[in-house]
Amino acid sequence: MCTGLPRTACPLRLFALCILLSHAAAYFGLTGREPLVFLPGPFANEPPNGKAHLKQCEQMTLTRRQKRLCRREPGLAETLRESVRLSLLECRYQFRNERWNCSMDGRGSLLKRGFKETAFLLAVSSAALSHALAKACSSGRMERCTCDDSPGLQHREAWQWGVCGDNLKYSTKFLKKFLGQRRVSKDLRAQIDAHNINVGIRAVKSGLKTTCKCHGVSGSCAVRTCWKQLSPFQDTGHLLKYRYDTAIRVHSVTNSATGETELASPRRHSNTGPRLRPTELVFLEESPSFCRPSRYSPGTAGRPCSKDTSCSSLCCGRGYNTALRLTTLSCHCQVRWCCHVECQTCLREEEVYTCKKH
Amino acid sequence: MLFKLKLLRSGWGGVTDSRHGAVTIAFCAFFMQVFVEASSWWSLAMNPLLIPEAYIIGGQPLCSQLAGLSKGQKKLCQLYQDHMQFIGEGAKTGIRECQYQFRNRRWNCSTVDNSSVFGRVMQIGSRETAFTYAISAAGVVNAVSRACREGELSSCGCSRAARPRDLPRDWLWGGCGDNLNYGYRFSKEFVDAREREKTFTKGSMESARLLMNLHNNEAGRRIVSDLAHVSCKCHGVSGSCSLKTCWLQLADFRKVGDTLKEKYDSAAAMRLNSRGKLVQVHSKFNSPTSNDLVYIDPSPDYCVENKTSGSLGTQGRLCNKTSEGMDGCALMCCGRGYDQYKTELVERCHCKFHWCCYVKCKRCSRIVDQFVCK
Repeated sequence: MCTGLPRTACPLRLFALCILLSHAAAYFGLTGREPLVFLPGPFANEPPNGKAHLKQCEQMTLTRRQKRLCRREPGLAETLRESVRLSLLECRYQFRNERWNCSMDGRGSLLKRGFKETAFLLAVSSAALSHALAKACSSGRMERCTCDDSPGLQHREAWQWGVCGDNLKYSTKFLKKFLGQRRVSKDLRAQIDAHNINVGIRAVKSGLKTTCKCHGVSGSCAVRTCWKQLSPFQDTGHLLKYRYDTAIRVHSVTNSATGETELASPRRHSNTGPRLRPTELVFLEESPSFCRPSRYSPGTAGRPCSKDTSCSSLCCGRGYNTALRLTTLSCHCQVRWCCHVECQTCLREEEVYTCKKH
Repeated sequence: MLFKLKLLRSGWGGVTDSRHGAVTIAFCAFFMQVFVEASSWWSLAMNPLLIPEAYIIGGQPLCSQLAGLSKGQKKLCQLYQDHMQFIGEGAKTGIRECQYQFRNRRWNCSTVDNSSVFGRVMQIGSRETAFTYAISAAGVVNAVSRACREGELSSCGCSRAARPRDLPRDWLWGGCGDNLNYGYRFSKEFVDAREREKTFTKGSMESARLLMNLHNNEAGRRIVSDLAHVSCKCHGVSGSCSLKTCWLQLADFRKVGDTLKEKYDSAAAMRLNSRGKLVQVHSKFNSPTSNDLVYIDPSPDYCVENKTSGSLGTQGRLCNKTSEGMDGCALMCCGRGYDQYKTELVERCHCKFHWCCYVKCKRCSRIVDQFVCK
């Protein structure tokens, strides 16, 4: 990388690369400037074209090494898009009742600071990426990996390993290569980001369960087939939201024995040890209240809320406006033989509450 | 206000030009006018409770001495002298409920002085003003109705409301209910008197404010009468419910406060249209009913102290560190940060019942953290 350059330019180039890698180093689709974020669904009706993925790899914002990995693996581009969509939907769902609702406005400035929300974004994006990769492997969309082939459980005669489990092992290994996590820099922010990315990956790992299906004589469990399956991404999202609620604020200390800087939290509770648990999200500074429009969020004006539960907290004391809305829904449904359901459409007036602007 | 007068007087002594002097006097007089307008009948709540006999002995002069009453209200005072004490009590109840409902918010319904009570904040037609007008009118209805039932007023007695139609037939309707009807009518006469006797040009800001005040007073009174319910007492054989007597009873004032707080949250922003009536600013939202509160101005910033808007600021307010709502330190202190103090909290503990019949408690003290906005 440094051949043919004057002595001063080489460290500068390395430094620039480090900066690139330190802040949200991976491709996560976090900022939405990529043109491929709002897709209706993955794997739309395109005929399998061998060279289409090359163009997609070029369009996404990736580093040079990531682009090379993308070109080598035809199914990776689609998987990346799917993971972005997954993480966006999950983030929006988990924060639908909070003042910051994971909107795209202000995302860029939010990612530059070390808030709790940044930690959650990184964790959920890495979790979505590993989830999508594992599922893509088992669905056969990737060329370089297939089903999970680990016979980890104890051998019981009646059980058999079969079917196609989600290949989380390959996914984790690939992610390490893709995100370039081997290099841990001394920058506090980079350490925090790396920690949070690991939290996301661990959350997916913890959701890996062994599912079995009995298919012996007349459905008995004499013969069982088991495989490892990832829990639905909503469970992982729920777990990460819990981690967000219990996130810990850290600062950097220098370990006097080894001379390295490491993360430490002010010792508030006696049960957590001095070291951070690898399953906890960490953040640097307290978030602003996202009530008013600022450069981090568009504010809560105009957000729909429910009168009994969320309006008082969402609207930050400003009150709400009431409007009547006509909605159509299916009602009086009946089963017709055979075998479809016929429903009528009923009109219903319901009240919609939106937060006031001031 | 007196401080300003002193300043003007001293300034006038030093100025020799007569034109300047005339201007100063005119300015002074104008200020006095504004000062008199700002005080209102709420001041009845702040003065110590006057016994009704004092009014009868003094007669006319006492009514004219009460500051803050308009002409029509003074006339009513002279006609119904024994009601004044209860109007003061009603206003006090209203103010106390207002302070309870707003205890966790930036503006906490604090009283500033004894004449204008809330200060210049009430001159802005905001949502908080709407709530204050409504709850004080409701307080007056409450107090006067109760006073009627308890026989304190000479011009009214127990409620003579008709028996409600949905009451089961074998229950008796009687007892002595709160005279809601009389309380409602008297509150309407008294509280609206100041608004009624003024006339403003159509389409001016004052007429908008007048309509808003009238609407909110009516909303407060209506809430009280809507929340009044039928209350019964069983007095059959050995206390069974074979014989029941029912009457109309006013709801607990806390419920009225809660309902009005909900109306405050959903209040409607209004403006004056070309015909001089109040209409909604955004027509796509539901238009307000007579039970809803309306307002014409957006609320001022209660974060910082501002003499023109009358806001007291949130400096020195207690905040709750763990809360995410309006009483949390992030929102209450408006981003200025907070100081942490340790204070000693003394409370009663280890209470024991002694025969017969008193309760004796010990005093425990513990050290708690208190957070105060910067």
